[in-house]
Amino acid sequence: MSCGELERLFLAGASGEDGRRHTKGCPTCRALAADVEATEQMSAGMQAPPLSPALRSKLLAIPRATVSCEGAERLLSLAIEKELGAEDERRLASHLSRCAACSEAAAVLFTSRELADPIAPPWLASRLTAARPRREKRLWAWILDPKAAIGLAYGAAVVVMLLGFNPADLARRVRAGDIGQNTRAAVTVAESSLSDRLGALQEKVARTFAVWKGRAGGYGRAAVSNAVSLIWKSSGTKDRSSERPRNRDGRGAFREKDTTTVNWRA
Amino acid sequence: MSAEEKSLVDRCRQGDDDAWREFVDRFGQKVYSIAYHFTLNREDAEEVSQEIFLKTFENLHRFDGSFPLVAWLLSLSRNLCIDRYRRRKREKAFRFVSDDAVLPLLKSDDDPASETLKKERTKLLFWALAEIPEDLAEILVLRDLDGLAYEEIGKALDLPDGTVKSRLFRARAEVARRIRERHEKRGSAGAFQSLALAAGGVL
Repeated sequence: MSCGELERLFLAGASGEDGRRHTKGCPTCRALAADVEATEQMSAGMQAPPLSPALRSKLLAIPRATVSCEGAERLLSLAIEKELGAEDERRLASHLSRCAACSEAAAVLFTSRELADPIAPPWLASRLTAARPRREKRLWAWILDPKAAIGLAYGAAVVVMLLGFNPADLARRVRAGDIGQNTRAAVTVAESSLSDRLGALQEKVARTFAVWKGRAGGYGRAAVSNAVSLIWKSSGTKDRSSERPRNRDGRGAFREKDTTTVNWRA
Repeated sequence: MSAEEKSLVDRCRQGDDDAWREFVDRFGQKVYSIAYHFTLNREDAEEVSQEIFLKTFENLHRFDGSFPLVAWLLSLSRNLCIDRYRRRKREKAFRFVSDDAVLPLLKSDDDPASETLKKERTKLLFWALAEIPEDLAEILVLRDLDGLAYEEIGKALDLPDGTVKSRLFRARAEVARRIRERHEKRGSAGAFQSLALAAGGVL
């Protein structure tokens, strides 16, 4: 075994029988092995320096003086709710002063309580008020509706005008002289005018009805007779044996007596 | 729940326009604020507010007075807010909260330095809220951002007060953990970067 190989075995902690044989013959390696043995014996007898009581008590006080990051999470929540005791407050403060990550988290969580309410845009209130769906209107609501009242008034005015009553006449008469006399006169005029107009309207309606009745009857009868004649014609053309013989060109001669005239007009 | 709230709702049900206007004036800002915290977008918040009020009006007959009115409004509108929140969460841009989105949440009397700091912290808060489960984020928003009482949140979400409290604590712990982890990751990345720079300088 060479010296280099023995050195590697020594460093690995296993020299073995070959190593011992080599050291017997090699003074350099024998001296090296003796040094290693002496160092091992020295370090085995060495003692650690004792922990001072002051340091020990400081170390024991750590859990009361500060808090872990996980503990800080719990205490932060209590601090936000202002439910933290004095001792826990000190522990949390101590931790936050040393831990940048928890300090940032605490700052963010406390910020959540300091934020302003976003101001609703000024038009939102009117939009929310208008967003209310319309309820169904009841009959009385329709009647009391100003639009409906105006519509009814217009309708009544149109009917009166159609009947021939002219409010302008009344107004003229009122302006002309005595209100009482003129009012009576106006009422008389209106009455006579109204009855005349009603009579005329009735007559006109009756006439129109008669005309339309006649037209309807005429069209109806015409339609029936047309249908009858069509049926009759179609049934007649089927039986060709009863027809008179045709000319050679197939057209045949037309005679007045062979035709039937259907008078369909009423 | 006050008798006054019940009477207001009754008047709204009878079609009293003034009562409805009063209802909108009293709760419009609150509802808009909650909607904004869930959507972080003005147009969406307006749309959600309108939907909430429409739904509220259609369900006025269901209000029996056993709830605080604001909690009842929330219980009706919860699904709308959560739907928007989920939709927003699915969007890729959700985690990148813009400056414009947080500006309406900052007080105008802050000095520029503290406003910048608060803006960054607010963005970080909304980023962390997007990272934690919805049921936790929802409670944190209602309690810390909207300032609702435990009872109101409990009624709105149909949860006992104890559950609200425990979920709120969990939510805050989760938010704190996400921010801590992000900070540590960023710190180690920074350290690695500075080491690489130093090595580059030596070589």
